[in-house]
Parts: sequence; structure tokens; C-alpha cells
Amino acid sequence: MFIGGIVNGATYAIMAVGLSLVYGVSRVFNFAYGSFFVFGAYFAWLLLKIPHSNFAIAFIGALIIMFALGLISEWASVRPLRWKPKWDITTMMSTLGLAILLNNIALVVFGPSKKVLPFIVEGNIHVGGFVITWHEIAVVLISLVVIFLLELFLKKTRTGMSMQAVSQDMTGAKIVGIPINRVFAYAFALSASLVTISAILLAPKVFFSPEGGWDTLCKAFVIVAFGGLGSVRGTLYAAFILAMVESAVAFYVGISWVLVVWFVVLLIVLAIRPRGISGIWA
Amino acid sequence: MGLIMKALQSKTFNLRNRLASMPGGLGFLIGLIVVIAILPLFFKDSSYIMHILIISLIWSGVVVGWDLMMGYAGIFTFAQVGIFVVGAYSSGMLAKLNGIDPWLGVLLGGLASALVGLIIGIPCLRLRGVYVALVTFAFHLVLVPLIKLGGPIGTGGAMNLVGVPPLTVGGYTFTVSDKIPWFYLLLVVCALLYFLNYRVIHSKLGLAFTALRDSENLAKSVGVDDYKTSLKVFAFSSFLTGILGGFYMQYVGVISTRILGMDTFLLIMVMLILGGLGRFPGAVLGAFGVTFLNYYLRPLENYRLVVFGLIVLLAVVFMPKGIMGLPDSARPYIKRAFTRLTKGRAVKPPEGL
Repeated sequence: MFIGGIVNGATYAIMAVGLSLVYGVSRVFNFAYGSFFVFGAYFAWLLLKIPHSNFAIAFIGALIIMFALGLISEWASVRPLRWKPKWDITTMMSTLGLAILLNNIALVVFGPSKKVLPFIVEGNIHVGGFVITWHEIAVVLISLVVIFLLELFLKKTRTGMSMQAVSQDMTGAKIVGIPINRVFAYAFALSASLVTISAILLAPKVFFSPEGGWDTLCKAFVIVAFGGLGSVRGTLYAAFILAMVESAVAFYVGISWVLVVWFVVLLIVLAIRPRGISGIWA
Repeated sequence: MGLIMKALQSKTFNLRNRLASMPGGLGFLIGLIVVIAILPLFFKDSSYIMHILIISLIWSGVVVGWDLMMGYAGIFTFAQVGIFVVGAYSSGMLAKLNGIDPWLGVLLGGLASALVGLIIGIPCLRLRGVYVALVTFAFHLVLVPLIKLGGPIGTGGAMNLVGVPPLTVGGYTFTVSDKIPWFYLLLVVCALLYFLNYRVIHSKLGLAFTALRDSENLAKSVGVDDYKTSLKVFAFSSFLTGILGGFYMQYVGVISTRILGMDTFLLIMVMLILGGLGRFPGAVLGAFGVTFLNYYLRPLENYRLVVFGLIVLLAVVFMPKGIMGLPDSARPYIKRAFTRLTKGRAVKPPEGL
């Protein structure tokens, strides 16, 4: 149970960080995020079907495809609305439209049946009476590497630093010549890739289907709101705390109570600290 | 101080003028209701079309309530379908209790919805923009497991809620097969609701929340109580929505968690977007148009929602003010064409000078 919590926490962290990143940089809330999750899993699944394919090809291939899909989505659903009046509401609506569009394309193309990805690595080891699968270890390692790379990207590279600049002061960033629109697009695409990673890590354990995206979105929602929109560090804490709560609830009360308990936790947190653990205001 | 008052007054007066000049006036509304009222004359033989009309009426009320929150008060709530379902379930559960008349059940269902609306509204008041959307959407998503777990208190659990006693008036029983009485019952309910909504939008309360939406700090500085105003809007809109939920449950005769699926949610959102945010009778037009479209796109099966997703995307991008905004958006083009036409004649450079 404890191990399950850590493993889920690691994947949830990646899942939520993408949502938080887009919001932090562009102040756009992406309702199509769950659909990206589903699409990422489907692309990985398709790539694994190709003869002579292996996990690395599927992983990297899916990331690249989803990065492109993220760019296209941003161009189609967010860019035309930016700087127009009420863009904060209209982008929420347009990304919701995009979500329904993508989900139903997935339904039409892949059918309603649930699919599952294979484990990254097979087998398990025994550590002091517990059985840990190699898959779980791989998940935690990959998550840590991804989060480390993300931090490195945000702190050291030019694009990453401009993302931070835009998130801190949009007008200031514009004045010093940062191409804001391009930064927004990259942030959107990067979040699509991040959610794909979490999809690939999570899909061997939970099945995915065209409707599966809403559950993901809801979870990412709660984690991000708990941790604070736009804060990477807060999101990490929130992901691990909530994953632990989830395993405890699933273990003691039953799996169907998980969402309910999360909602209650969310309400309590927002009532005490309306911006989450360390969030920025809208 | 005088200056601020003046500023607010000019702002609100502009708003009033804008409202009066739009096709959102009282005359347009009455005309719309009359048109809806005579529709059964043409379609009374087709039980299918009558069914679509009844469903359109129900959704129109729901969308009007949503528009009040999203369009006029500027509160991004996504809990509307959830509130509707709360009204439907609670009225059904109450009517199944002995001694509660189904009519009273519908009314109490509306009150229960208002209560739930307040419960969601209170934490939302401390939050802003996207956080409100997050919490209300989470409420919507969490209702499904809650209803499924609620078997012991009479929600029907994972099954549907059935066996609710029907509405009766003076010996007549409303049944789903007899469409005309249902249509006129709902028309009366919805007409009342539209007028009430119209009154609220044009009342002092309506002025207060539109002022809050347009300029929060200015409105607060001249003494608009944002807390109270927003809670009133939450309660009022939830009450209307809950009542319609009750009638919907009575009409269909059964309610299940399927209605919380994303397709209903999206459908209602399309109605609101096409009707135009904050353009009141527009929501009614949107509801009728989209409901009919939905029934006639049935043959497309799974592609139907692909089409609707595309419509939302395109409508938001290209028609941000909805149907009711079209005359507004067309005005500059017409004006430009007109001036070009007249100028072309008048400002022709005189020759030989």
C-alpha cells in the first residue's frame, strides 16, 4: 500500500505538473488535458504494435507525436482567442470543445474497448517481505529523471527561462523581446508530452479507454489545485500526499470512495488556503 | 466620491442602454414565447417532434440559469448539470416518501438544489476564475460515485431511480405518452422562469452582479456586497435549475447517472455558446437549435459528438458572442460597406483641379 502510494505519487506528479505548467505560463486552463493522456497512451500502444518496435521507440515516438499534437491544439484552440476579451472563459470553453472532439475521435478510431500497455520491465524482487515489481521501480526512476530534467530545462535553457519569465510577468517578458506566443505554444506542447509520459507509466496498471481522460483530468485538477496552480514544487508535494491518501482510502474503505475523499480534501484545502500549498493567483 | 458614483452610473446606464437596444428586450422575449407556444399547432401529430420540443424547453431553462451565472454574473461554474441532477434526484426521492405530493417534491427538489448551490457557492466565493471552474467541475464528477454509493438513502444506487409517483392535477395524470399537456405545463414553467430571469437581470441585483463582473473593484468601492450578491445568484440560479430537474425526472419517469455523462454536459455548453454568453433570450434559441440538431444528427452515431466538439471549437473561435451577437458583429461591416458606398459617391476627387 505504501509502495503503491509512492509509485502513483510519482506518476501523478508528472501528470499534474504538465497541467500546472501550462497554467503557470499562459494562464490558460486546458480542459483537453485528459484527452492528451488518452491519446498519448493510444499512440504508445500503436507504436508498440509495429514489428521490431520496442519500449524506447514507443516512448520517444509517442512523446514526439504528442508534442506535435500539442502545438497543433494550441494553434487551433487557444491562439485565436488570446488577447481577445474574456479569453480566460473562452479558452476554457474551446479546450473543452477540443476535449470532446479528441475523445470522440479516439472512440471512433480505436473503439470503446479498454486497452492496456505491457509492463516496462517484467519480473519482481522481494525486499524484506514485500514484493516489488521491476515495473514499479522503473516508474519511480523514470519519474524522478523526468522531473529532474524538467527542473533543469526550466532553470538552465533559454526556452525554459523564458517560460519562467513569461509566467512571472507577461508584459515585462514581452518588453524584453521574448516571443510570448512561441513560449505559450512550447509550454502547451511540453505539457502534452509530460502527460504522455504519465500515461505510458500508468497504463500498464489502469486500463485506458476513450472516456478515461476525465478521470485523469479530475485527478490532475485536484492535485494542481491542492498544490497551487502554476507551482511545480507545490504540485510535487500534493501529488505524493494525495497518492498516499488514495492508497489508504482504497485499502481501508474501497476504491469507489477515492474520488469523493479527494473532493472533500480539495474543499478543505481551498477553504483554508484558497490558492493551494504554493500557488499564484489567476 | 461623486466622480466614482458618476463613473459607475455611466457604466451601468450604458449597460442598461445596451440591454434595451439589443434584441434582448421584453418585446422580443414575449414574441419568442408566443412563437414557441404555437409550435404544437404544426407538430401535434408527431409525438417525436413534441418530445424534442419538451426536451428543448427543459434545457432552455437550464441554459438560462447557467447563462445568468456565467454570462451575467461572470462566475465560471461548471456545476449546472450537477445541480440539475440534484434537483431531479431529490424531488424523485421525496415524492417516493409517503405523504409528499409530487408537486411539492418538485418544489422541494428546487430548494434542495438551491441549498447545494449555496454549499458549492460558499467555498467558491473565496476563489477566483479558474479555481471556481475546478471546484464546480470536480463537484460534477464526484456526483456519479456519490449517487452510486447513495443506495441506502434511496438514490437507487448503481440502478436507476424508478417508481416515482406521477404529477396529477384534479384527477388528470401527466404521462409521458400524452405530450401536449406536458408541453404546455413546461411552457408555463419556463415562461415564468424567463420573466423572472428578465426581471432579475434588470433589477438592482442584476445591476450589482453585472457591475461586479465588469469591474469588481469599482463595484465594491461604491458599496456592492460581492459576497451577498454572488450567493444570491448561486441560490437563485440553482433553484430554477433544480425545479427543471424535478420536472425532467417526472417527464421521463426515470433518472440515472447517465445524464451526468460528458455528452449532456457538452450539449448544454454548446447551447450556451451558440446562444451567446450574457445575451439572455439567446440561450433559449441555442437550446432549441441544439436540441433539434442533436436529435437529427442521431444517425451519425459516434460521429455526432465529434461534430459537436468541432462546433464548440469553431463557435468559440469565430462567433464568440453567439447567435444574439451576430447583429452586433455584423454592424461594423455593414457600416463600413455603407460609408464606402456613400463616400465613393461623395468624395470623388473633382476632375481638372
